[in-house]
Amino acid sequence: MWVWFFKLGSPKWFYELSGKWLPWLIGAMVIFMTVGVVWGLVFLPPDYQQGFTSRILIVHVAVAGTSLAFFPLMFVAGTITLVWRMKLADMVAKHAAILGAWFSFITLATGSLWGSVMWGTWWEWTDSRLVSMLFQLFLLLGVISLRSALEDSDAAAKACALLSIVGCINVVIIKYSVEWWNTLHQVSSPVTTDASSPNGPEFWIATLIMIVAVYLFLSVSLILSTRNEILERERKAQWVQDLVLKS
Amino acid sequence: MTEKQTTTSAAFFATLKRDLLIAFKKKNDIVNPFMFFIIVVSLFPIGISPESDRLTEIAAGVIWISVLLASMLSMDNLYRSDFEDGSLEQLLLSPHPLFFLVLAKNISHWLVSGLPVVLVSPLLAYMLALPEEAYGTLVLSLLLGTPIMSLVGSIAVALTVGLGSRGLILAVITLPMSVPVLIFGTLAVQSTLNSQSPLGYLSLMLVMLSVSVSLAPLASAAALRISVN
Amino acid sequence: MLDAIQFSTWAEFFDMGGYGFNVWSVYALFAIFVAINLIFPWRKKQKIIRQLKRRMTLDAEIQSEDDSSGD
Repeated sequence: MWVWFFKLGSPKWFYELSGKWLPWLIGAMVIFMTVGVVWGLVFLPPDYQQGFTSRILIVHVAVAGTSLAFFPLMFVAGTITLVWRMKLADMVAKHAAILGAWFSFITLATGSLWGSVMWGTWWEWTDSRLVSMLFQLFLLLGVISLRSALEDSDAAAKACALLSIVGCINVVIIKYSVEWWNTLHQVSSPVTTDASSPNGPEFWIATLIMIVAVYLFLSVSLILSTRNEILERERKAQWVQDLVLKS
Repeated sequence: MTEKQTTTSAAFFATLKRDLLIAFKKKNDIVNPFMFFIIVVSLFPIGISPESDRLTEIAAGVIWISVLLASMLSMDNLYRSDFEDGSLEQLLLSPHPLFFLVLAKNISHWLVSGLPVVLVSPLLAYMLALPEEAYGTLVLSLLLGTPIMSLVGSIAVALTVGLGSRGLILAVITLPMSVPVLIFGTLAVQSTLNSQSPLGYLSLMLVMLSVSVSLAPLASAAALRISVN
Repeated sequence: MLDAIQFSTWAEFFDMGGYGFNVWSVYALFAIFVAINLIFPWRKKQKIIRQLKRRMTLDAEIQSEDDSSGD
């Protein structure tokens, strides 16, 4: 039963398997992205309250929702690194941190582009989602800078694994405490819940398509980076040398 | 069995005593965070406004953030000198659970750099025109909050103990983690000012403190084992 | 299908009911974000393979030189 699990830990096995998956994943990603973006830009009817800004939301919600997956992912990868010493988990975690920082940044940027019309401000401290996303970005940048400071890759792997686990627990505590903090400071807030959720099944179907597209993009990008990492770290292995000679 | 338990507690107190002795010999470790805290707080009225109304509004936040910065800066010498003179390796080799030894080091660090800052905070609260009724809450919230910062910060220090220059990376890692403590600490003071009971926030901080006491030394110990090969 | 298109002119399409700048910025940002995170790993792979190839040919040359000088 555990065989597949330890097989997955072998970089060679992962490289070969992901090579088979990649074309399908890329194909599915292109289809979902195209459908989502064309629907979002051309077909999605304007919301009766928000007009065409609901078109911003389908992208923003998809990216924001996906960016919440990074710390749990790094938590799992970190546990695997510390418990089973699996090199592959660390390679995934390294690129998950970088990609996660990108996702958090894009969430903030698209959120403030939406907020600038709906709330009349680019940044709003009274919106707890923006604030906790900002601190998620800071925590991810901390993990990235720890990795770049520790050059030794084995110690860096374990240190980043531990920091990711601590960070994941922390991000949950931060999320709830910031929410609480906000409920006490709602006095002069332009943020109201009814203004942030457009109605209509069309909006939610378009958002769902975008979420699938963004998740596919996340896996494709992460797999591509992990494969690069495998090539670099295993460059002395025979199978990598054979692969290089063949290409 | 009993013999081993007594030796573990003896090792705990020996580590605590040793660290306190070193700190009192060096004195800089005690004086510098303290001075840093007082100086940073004194800069705020100059930078913002000398009017007492505006100072009252920001007092709790200013004191809390200055405490966070002071405790973070003082964290740097938590494991460094032990790492340099090799006694950290001795600590890792000891037969006693590392959990308790790390906890002893964290406690002594807090006694030396956290407690003096907490004790002087009413004076600075007075200088920032914080109303008198909030002094008690401020001190209590700092008493609960600064150990949490020491315990959590210790993880980051342990992770970076082998690095040459690490003042800023420590800040980048630790400061975002202090958000919950900052929120509940300042909310407790704020609610006293609005003549509500701060007990809810203080008990939440007590929960956070007990969780950190039981979990953070585990993570610190693991981090030390990773950093010191 | 065509009835569902929300615009009759290009100008309307770019205007997005007055929110043109924000809507188009978000989609442009999203496109750049997706493109960067796909193209960079792809180009890095080419670079890694090029480097590994060069190193391997260098190693082979050194090896053959050693062999010939050893004779």
